[in-house]
Amino acid sequence: MTLLDLPEDPYKKGEHYPRFTIVERGLMSLRVSDRKGLWVASSAAQTEHFQPADRHGRDRLLVTDELDSPLHEFLTALFSDVVSGPKPSFLSIDEIGKALVARHFADLALGALVSVAREAVVVVRGDLQRTIVPWSWFRPSGTGTAPDFNDVAVTDSGLAIRLGNYEASMDAILYEFDRDYRACARQRQLETDMSFGGSFRRLRMQRGLSRSGFPGISDRELGRIERGEVVRPHGATLRLIADTLGVEPGDIETY
Amino acid sequence: MPLHLPLPERLSHEGWKVKIYDNERLEPPCATVIRGNLEWRWNLRSRQFMDREPDPRDVPRELREFVQVEHTKLVRLWDLTRPGNPVAITEDWP
Repeated sequence: MTLLDLPEDPYKKGEHYPRFTIVERGLMSLRVSDRKGLWVASSAAQTEHFQPADRHGRDRLLVTDELDSPLHEFLTALFSDVVSGPKPSFLSIDEIGKALVARHFADLALGALVSVAREAVVVVRGDLQRTIVPWSWFRPSGTGTAPDFNDVAVTDSGLAIRLGNYEASMDAILYEFDRDYRACARQRQLETDMSFGGSFRRLRMQRGLSRSGFPGISDRELGRIERGEVVRPHGATLRLIADTLGVEPGDIETY
Repeated sequence: MPLHLPLPERLSHEGWKVKIYDNERLEPPCATVIRGNLEWRWNLRSRQFMDREPDPRDVPRELREFVQVEHTKLVRLWDLTRPGNPVAITEDWP
């Protein structure tokens, strides 16, 4: 029986990790090693699957439903981590299934919970890591759209958080609040940046030059070029850069 | 409200979207091409996809060409939402 429409599910085949398993409708697990896994249950009733004798060790559990306190405590005794909340705060179970088999599952949002007392949104990510975003970070857009913290949900299959009519991308949230994500994103950007600035930076690195090694051009100006704030320098500046790098001006963009 | 670039019906029907979110990284200015839980960031200054993963070649040619054709509209949408950081930057080199 097909329980989820997962067109590409690389984890279902074989015994290799990570391994995705649908136990029954609305209950699934993603094993990342023989000692560590993630379970998702779509309702409190489904947690009946977990019995007192079970040993889940370092497994974590997400229940996309509200749990009463005793049940939450029971599950906390079985799992290393338990996350739960009202259903509208989470993606649908089908979307969670698709998020868990995505290569970038830890960067997707599965849920978003609001703490009114702390004036923060707690974003539950694909690996159940939580990222806390203060309300103050959600600044109104230039069109005047402001966030509504009474109407919070995950949208675009985990790529964004919706607050009323306002949407914030997960990329922006993680870039701001997750140092590791930011380091990876910056590295990716520099490796794949096809702009003049990206080419210049790659070539400069290859030559082992610092920004202060370009006579007649300030460190600050070179930084602006690398960040793409100056699309392409002209004339004498371009010639100075090329001469220092030992290439023809037109060759810089080939690096 | 995020700004949407209206797409040809066939692309919309296949689940493709192009958005500028209310809140996303300011630099460099970009629009986001979305399908399911995959996204491709389109650099509004360089007119190129910014990331190698996911592979930009997975975006249908029709959509890539559409984004190029509608580039001016996307820039206008960005500038509308980010008046303090417009796509065009004045050259301040000697």
